Order: sequence, then structure tokens, then C-alpha cells
Amino acid sequence: MSVRIFSTDHRVIARQYFFLSLFAVLFGMLLSLLMRFHLVYPQTPVRVFEAIWPEKASGGVMTPELYLSLLTLHGTIMVFFVLTLAPLNAFGNLVLPEQLGATGMAFPRLNMMSFWTTVISFLLLIASFTCQDGGPLSGWTAYPPLSALGAIAGPGQGRGQTLWFFSIGVFCISATLTSINFIATVIEMRSPDMGLMQMPLPCWNWFVTSILSLLSFPVLLAAGLLILLDRLAGTSFFLPAGGGSPLLWQHLFWFFGHPEVYIAILPGMGIVSHVISVFTRKPVFGYKAMVFATIAIAFLGLLVWGHHMFISGLSPYSAIAFSVLTMVIGAPSAVKTFNWIATLWGARIELTTAMLFCLGFISIFVTGGLSGLFLGQPQIDAYFHDTYFVVAHFHMIMGIAALFGIFAATFYWFPLMFRRKLHEGLGKIHFYLTFVFAYATFVPMHFAGFAGNPRRYADFTTFDFLQPLLPLQKGITHSAFALAAVQILFLGNLIWSLRRGPVIEWTGDTGTWQR
Amino acid sequence: MATLTDNDIPLSELLGDGGQPPIFPEPPNGGGGGDPDGHRPPPGNSRSAAVIGIFVMMCASTMTFSALVSAMIVRRGLNRTDWHHIPLPSILWWNTLILLVSSVALDTARRQLRKGNRTTFNRLWTAGAVMGTWFLIGQIIAWYQLEAGGFRLVGNLNSAFFYVLTWAHAAHVIGALGAVLYVEYRALQFKLGPSGRTWVDVSAIFWHFLDLLWLGLMALFVFWA
Ligand SMILES: [Cu+2]
Repeated sequence: MSVRIFSTDHRVIARQYFFLSLFAVLFGMLLSLLMRFHLVYPQTPVRVFEAIWPEKASGGVMTPELYLSLLTLHGTIMVFFVLTLAPLNAFGNLVLPEQLGATGMAFPRLNMMSFWTTVISFLLLIASFTCQDGGPLSGWTAYPPLSALGAIAGPGQGRGQTLWFFSIGVFCISATLTSINFIATVIEMRSPDMGLMQMPLPCWNWFVTSILSLLSFPVLLAAGLLILLDRLAGTSFFLPAGGGSPLLWQHLFWFFGHPEVYIAILPGMGIVSHVISVFTRKPVFGYKAMVFATIAIAFLGLLVWGHHMFISGLSPYSAIAFSVLTMVIGAPSAVKTFNWIATLWGARIELTTAMLFCLGFISIFVTGGLSGLFLGQPQIDAYFHDTYFVVAHFHMIMGIAALFGIFAATFYWFPLMFRRKLHEGLGKIHFYLTFVFAYATFVPMHFAGFAGNPRRYADFTTFDFLQPLLPLQKGITHSAFALAAVQILFLGNLIWSLRRGPVIEWTGDTGTWQR
Repeated sequence: MATLTDNDIPLSELLGDGGQPPIFPEPPNGGGGGDPDGHRPPPGNSRSAAVIGIFVMMCASTMTFSALVSAMIVRRGLNRTDWHHIPLPSILWWNTLILLVSSVALDTARRQLRKGNRTTFNRLWTAGAVMGTWFLIGQIIAWYQLEAGGFRLVGNLNSAFFYVLTWAHAAHVIGALGAVLYVEYRALQFKLGPSGRTWVDVSAIFWHFLDLLWLGLMALFVFWA
């Protein structure tokens, strides 16, 4: 029992994280479908809704509060339990020791503790949505003053929101423990003849990601501590009535929130670099440039949190500083993209499923990154802020791009994780359909943003000026359903391959060290 | 153990670690794949890993405290008319002194252990642990005195920040004291092996960090808040 459940083996822990994120991503996807359905058929009664939520969807029509709580759960699950856990905790735990030539993580017992702390955090999050007065509905950013007031702020702001903050606090602790383990592993457990600049690129990316997570999660923990005191002990750190300031939360939250984007995407970049080099049979073009680009992205990522606050009353001077620094991140990102293209240039490319997902990653990373250049400018952001343009942007860059990295890793390292291979043919069909429907879902969302459609509205059709967007939004919803349906192919592939997939011996890939 | 050519490995076995093939042989001691020529200590030397780990942990704590302190600084900058200066209870100075002396005691103990003076180590380490506990009791007295003086958690943001910062520091001290007492327990049982010595070093390092942190907080309260 203790061997399997409370295992200290990094491969077992990797699988535990993998299945936790798999469960989380399926759940989060289901929530997004419910939301997309409600958005375009807001008054259509659905029996199932009423069966699940007799009060909050009486007559089969979701209340706005229910919609917002689904939105909050979707965002929180996806950001924390999918985009943070899968690329870093699952695949990092699986591959990092192998690529470093180590026998395991530096602190195996700490590793086991971080996983189970994460599980506690996940259970707290789920519990927060089953509260009597409704689940929390502040979104994953949980802005005060409403989120700091407690039950008097409205339905869902009572015990549900408190539990949500506890869940996030516990997650911060587990993320910090994980990053301590990863950093110590990279520094201490490398095989004796491997210098830092000889580490495979994924190791560099997991290392830098862990440093980012070490620097940002403790800040979120501090912010969570203060807001819990506001809610439970009656202080007013974030409440103007008692002399506090809601802006303080935004600073602390986004000091974590922006690096979190890179915590989600940097491991994917490392995975892509590695897989591309394997299937082009070439070393990655510009190894050193890749390493320094990773470090530069992480370093700059710590200095740009203000670009989320352009319309929060930030001084225009600091807005310019944040804006310029944000634009500068484009440079190392471009270095990475050009290096990938240079690696692909003239190579005999083996188009495996993992490789296809890497190419998809590059495509979506560029598309999603470009819209960031617009949002990074205070003047343009004044219009785009809190519209579907933002939703489209971060789903592309943080959602789909990171997910493609996770898929690439899953297909490439599946034999290392489960000793079997995923089905390639099914995987390729899954890739092409996912690629098409991801674009079909999120590109039109930009147009809804152009038209000024605000995000987080439960029923935008009640506004005359947004009525003409209904066909567009319907198209997005249909595409989203198709995107979700396509994932059944992956799930089927996973289940089939776990039982019947060809058994192959993982020959190890430490031979790809950069020398 | 299942073989690699077995095409019917039960799923349950894949999920546990029951059937892992011996692709990556693990040395029985769980240490790293050491360097046979002995140029460098083998990786995964748990002692140096623990020292790195505690330094990384200190970075994480520093970030939490920087977040709290910067929140305090920003908040003070926003509006100073409602920022009431708190009169620091004089016991805080005694607490500071006790904490510093406890640090000296623990460190001297650590060095005595290296020289092999186990009795001196035991005495000094016990003294350090007792002074650490004293420090915590002193902090509790300080909180009561402040509250009696009308500076509560609620009502004045300056004192709210004071409580949060000192609580967070005390929480760290409790954690470190746990490690110190664990060493104490092992030492009194004469079971202080190599892993016990790692605990000695790591808890002493962290204890010094808590000193520095406390001095920083005192400076903040005295000169600035
Ligand atoms: Cu950002």
C-alpha cells in the first residue's frame, strides 16, 4: 500500500501527477462546455442542469452566479492543476532525473509530501464548490474588495470563497516544496561529468521554471494569508473602508500571476526543443542562446506584472515601463522560435505524433504571442481589457500552446512512463483535428473582443450592441464542442495503449547531451 | 516482475511501481550514480543536497516576507494620515537578545560537535533550544502587551502588519525549533549519526537566517513603521 500510494519513487509520483492532471483537465473541459453552451443558449432549459443544481438552475436555466462559479472552477483547475502540474510536476519528475543521469529526485520524501499536499489542495477546491450558498465566483484572480468581504458580498462569497483561498494557499506550499526539490536535484544530482551548460534543454527549462515558481508562489501565499485575515479576522488589508487598498492585492497577485504563465509554458518549450532535436536528428540550433533566452524570459517575467493593471489606476509612467518590459520579452521568445525553425531547416523531419504536436506548439505559440503585443500596450489594452480578446490570447498561449507541449511530452515519453507506446495513427488524427478546432475556437474569439464583448458576462445577449455577435459566439461554441469531442480520440488512445499498446524498451535519451 | 515482451501487463501494475523493468538500475543505498574514480563526491550526497535545500527554502521564506513587507510599504505610502505608530513593547529587545544568544549557542554547539566534544555539544544545544522556546514565550508576552495597549489586529493597519509579520516569523521559529528539538532528542539518545549531523547543520543555518530576518523586522518596526 505505502509503496504504491505514498511512494517516494519519482516515476510513480510522476504518474500520480499525470493522472491527477488528466482528471483535472477532463473536468475543466467539461465545465468549459457547460459555460459555452450557456453563453449561446442562455434561456434554453436543460433538464440535466436542473437535476445537478436544483436551486441554482431551477427550470434548467443557469443563474449568473452558477455560470460564474463554473468559470472560477474552470480557471482555477486549469491554471493550477493542469498547466502547473502536468508540464512541471508530472513530466519533470519523470524525466529530469533520467536526463541528469541521477537515480531520483534529491528529496524523495518531500516529493511524496508535495504530491499529497497538492491532492489536499484539489479536494479543498472541489469542496469549495459544493458549499450551500454556492461556489466561489471571483474568477481565478479573486479580486478584492468583493472577495475579501465574506458572505455579505453575495452568494458564493461565503464559505466557498474561504475554502478556495485555503486551497490556493495549500497549493502554494506544495508548489514551493516541489521547486525546492527540483532546484536541489538540478544542482546536486547531476551526473558528475555533466556541467550546467551540458544539461539537456528540458532540464534547463524545468530548472528555471522551478526558480520562477520558488519566487512567485510564496508571494501568492503571503497575499492569500492577508486576504484570509480580511475575511476571517476582520482586518482590512484590501478593504478601502478600513484603510486598505484593493490595488495591493492586484500587485501581489500579478507578481505571482504573470510568472505563472511562464511556469506553464517554459517546460513546454524545453520539451519542444528536445523532441524537435530527436526527430530532426540534429542538435538544437543555438543551445546557449536557448538557455539564455529561457533565463531572460523568466527574469523579465518577474518585472512585468503591471501589464495586467493598466486600467486599475496605475500611474501612466509606470504603465509605460511595464509596457516596454513586456515588449522586450518578445525578443527572447523570438530567439527561441527562430532557433526551432533553424533546427527544422533542411532537416529530414520524422513526422511522429510527438513531433507534430511540437510543430503545432510553435504555430500556436507564435499566434498567441502576437496578440500579446497588442495587449501589452496600455492604449490598446484600454479597449481590449476584460474582453474576449484577452480570453482568446491567454487560451492560445497559456492553454493550447502549453497543452500541445504536454501532448508532445505524453506521446514522446509514454514508453518511459508506462513501458508502452501510444498509437501513432490515432495520435496523428487526434493532432490534426485538435489543431484545426483549436484555431477554429480561439481565432474567432479575438473578433468578439474587437467587437467589445466583455468576458465573464453570463448572458451577453441581453445587451443590444452585442446581439449581432450571437452567430459568432455560436460558431465558437460549436467548435469548442468539436474540440472536446476530438479529445475522446486521445482518451481512447490512452486507455487502449495502457492495456494493449506495443511494449517497447525505453533506450534512454541521455545520449542527447549537448557537448 | 513482468518481462518486457509480456503484452498483457495488468493496468494496476502499471499504475503502481510493481512491475518497473530494471532499465534504470538503482543502487541499494539510494545514493547517486557516483563517480568511480572519486574526483567529486557522488551526486545525491544527502548532506550537501540538504544544505542546498535549506538555502532554497530560505529564498522562498524571503519572498513571502518581502511580499508582506512591500505590501506594508506600499500601503503606508498610499495614506499616512491613518498610520498610527505602534509603541514597541520593551520585551521585544530582550527577545532579540535571547534569539541572538541562542544562535551563538547553537553554532558553538555545532562546532564543538565537529571537534568531537559531545558533552559540550549537548549542553550548548540544549541551551539554544531553551532560549528558542523563551523567545517564543517572549513574543507571546509582547503580543499581549500590545493588545493591552489597544493595538489589536483589527483597527490599525500598522499593528495588523506588525502581527502578521511577527506571526509569520514565529511560525518559522516553531518549525526550526521542531528541527532543533529533533536533534536534541537524537543527541540525548546518543543516536546522532551522519544524518543527525546534517540536521544539526541545516537547523543551525536556518536558525541564523531567522536571526537575520528578525533583525530586519525589528529595524523595520523601529525606524520606519
Ligand atoms: Cu502577464
